[in-house]
Amino acid sequence: MGQRKTRSGETGRNLSRRKFLGVTAGATAALSFGTFIRSGQGAASLKILTWSNTLNAMDDTLREQAKQYTKEKGVDVAFEFINQTDLPTKTAAAVESGAGPDIITTWSDGAHLHDKALIDVSDIAESLGKQLKGWTNIGQDIGLVGKVWKAVPWGIIPICVTYRTDWCKEVGYEKFPDTYDDLLVMSKKLKDKGHPVGFALGRAIGDGNQSHYPIFWAFGGMEAKKDGKTVAINSPETAKAVDWRRRLFKEAETEDVLSWDDSSNNRAFLAEAVSVTGNAASIYWAEKKNAPQLREVTNHALWPQGPAGRFGYSTAMGLGIFRFSKSQKEAKEFITWLMQPKQYSAWIGVGEGQIAGLANFYEDDPVWKKDPKLEVIRQIPKYVRMPGYPAPPSRPAAEAMVKYVLVNMFARACKGMSTAETIKIAENELKEIYAKA
Amino acid sequence: MASTANVESTQARPWLSRFRKPEALTGYFLISPAVFLMLVLLAYPFVLAVWISLTDRVLGEPGKFIWLGNFLKLLQDSLFLQTVWNSFVYTISTVFLKMLLGVILALLLNQDIPCRNLVRGLILMPWIVPTSLSVLTWLWMFDSLFSVVNYILLGAGLISKKVPWLGDPLWAMVSVIIVNTWRGLPFFAVSFLAGLMTIPRELYEAAEVDGALRFRQFWHITLPLLQPVIAVVVLFSTIWTFADFQIVYILTHGGPINATQIFATMAYDVALVAGRIGEGSAISLFLFPALLVVIILMLKYLRRE
Repeated sequence: MGQRKTRSGETGRNLSRRKFLGVTAGATAALSFGTFIRSGQGAASLKILTWSNTLNAMDDTLREQAKQYTKEKGVDVAFEFINQTDLPTKTAAAVESGAGPDIITTWSDGAHLHDKALIDVSDIAESLGKQLKGWTNIGQDIGLVGKVWKAVPWGIIPICVTYRTDWCKEVGYEKFPDTYDDLLVMSKKLKDKGHPVGFALGRAIGDGNQSHYPIFWAFGGMEAKKDGKTVAINSPETAKAVDWRRRLFKEAETEDVLSWDDSSNNRAFLAEAVSVTGNAASIYWAEKKNAPQLREVTNHALWPQGPAGRFGYSTAMGLGIFRFSKSQKEAKEFITWLMQPKQYSAWIGVGEGQIAGLANFYEDDPVWKKDPKLEVIRQIPKYVRMPGYPAPPSRPAAEAMVKYVLVNMFARACKGMSTAETIKIAENELKEIYAKA
Repeated sequence: MASTANVESTQARPWLSRFRKPEALTGYFLISPAVFLMLVLLAYPFVLAVWISLTDRVLGEPGKFIWLGNFLKLLQDSLFLQTVWNSFVYTISTVFLKMLLGVILALLLNQDIPCRNLVRGLILMPWIVPTSLSVLTWLWMFDSLFSVVNYILLGAGLISKKVPWLGDPLWAMVSVIIVNTWRGLPFFAVSFLAGLMTIPRELYEAAEVDGALRFRQFWHITLPLLQPVIAVVVLFSTIWTFADFQIVYILTHGGPINATQIFATMAYDVALVAGRIGEGSAISLFLFPALLVVIILMLKYLRRE
């Protein structure tokens, strides 16, 4: 009864619907205005969009460091971690809408694709370069757009060969083969013993591309010439790489690899279904917790050498600052702080090989002395190149990668297409892509 | 009578005068939020996408207006032509299968079976569960190493070696078709069931009196009366399947060797990963004119019915 009285009685007259709406609207406006004023004048804040590391501990370290920075410098810093496959979409949305995080993780060629949306960070990239004994080739490849630094090289997820030492010993190999020809011989022996090898040939944006660009380059293949315009994939060198890949598939792999995504090889290796695969240190990490007995017999090797040398392709990340950011100065200061040995070593130290530095200084980081099996990973950055090599990273090279032009060229050969035919298809696809540039 | 007079008087005046009537004004006022939402959430993004598809825009840059340049270029793109083919194979097969199985399932559910309501509810499960979650389960079921489907088929002696579900171009297409059919079937079955329940019982009784067998009853009574429902469901499903993204993206990413690349997955790769949003928009809008014609024809047909 009391309630009814309140509705229709005195309170009802004092606070009519119109009055209520008026008061609410006024309060909302006042609050919004307050927020607006605060956002213009208050303490600076920084938002950083980055990938969610497969190793949570590394993200936790970054969160802790952000808190510490806020405490020390009074600048609010917040990391937003998202799935690696969502990073392009989120970046695209920020670039298009002109709103979003202040700092973005440029993924591989991200700084080249979004260079107009990013500010010039040459001042901090150059001073950090001087301080940290210079940048590696791959660091320069991803950060420098023309002559301007658009991203500070941050780190690389080193992809190498992960293999079973016990099974390789069983077929007479104490050391991992150093050439692709030797690898083929050993792989056949391994399969004959019931231990096939496996390199992803499905739509594994990471492992598929990262296993096949190194093979392609090592045999002397190139998508385009150094000018970045003339398609040059149709060559005897490419044919040799395709023939080698087909033989590996027929003699030493199972058909599964054609469907492998980025996590398939981890699962296969941990299930002891493959003896050799191309991967980051994530398998070794997973074994630490779930299969210590396998960790004992797992080791890493550099990609073998081919007639044209030794190459690798791993995802390298940079930190870029959006043009629309209101806290560009603070962003530069934070990136410089984050790259200092105290913070950086703590971060890669937790990763134990999951991330390697792009500055030469970090080649001697204490993390590499933690475990002799990480020694190989330490060396990877110096062999890494980006799609499009020998030309600098570009939009056509990125498009060719996301369209799996190279991986599909190898996959078609493995499914039975002739070498000339599969290269011709890849050549046509590349010509279509490069013609748009 | 009063209302007739009202309508006549409104018609006699110029149309603007309708706005003077307070109740008409209230009417427009009341539908304005809906119109506003339609404009902001549907019309604006659509018009923007059409505009972008007519430019050579790349992410972060304004781009030039190039008329139908993107669409003409796509017609010469071998990967795109394969995508068009894949999209048609995917859509036609899944819609046909869903229609066929949907009719059968609806006829079964319309019978007096035990726990009928429970079964009808359970049938809806694939439609209710979030697609991304259920497709992840399918991904595990088709896994190259641990496929439970292969395990069962091998165990039952139906196959002698593992089927490369997602590893072979043909099997990959079969896999995405199976999953799409599984996911969409409840919508078809339940819609058809609703249609079946509206068919008057007397028609069947009359047919029985005339000596028509079950198949003839189905052919001459059920099917013709179900036709409008089938038309609407097929129309919706065709549009949804042409625009499908999740199933293919999660299961195959368009692979292997582009065997399952469809409009939405290719548009995603080109627009968001490679940054060519003009071309990406053109890919996703490529079929719009054709679909529009189909929609208009279907709606006209339905109105006539």
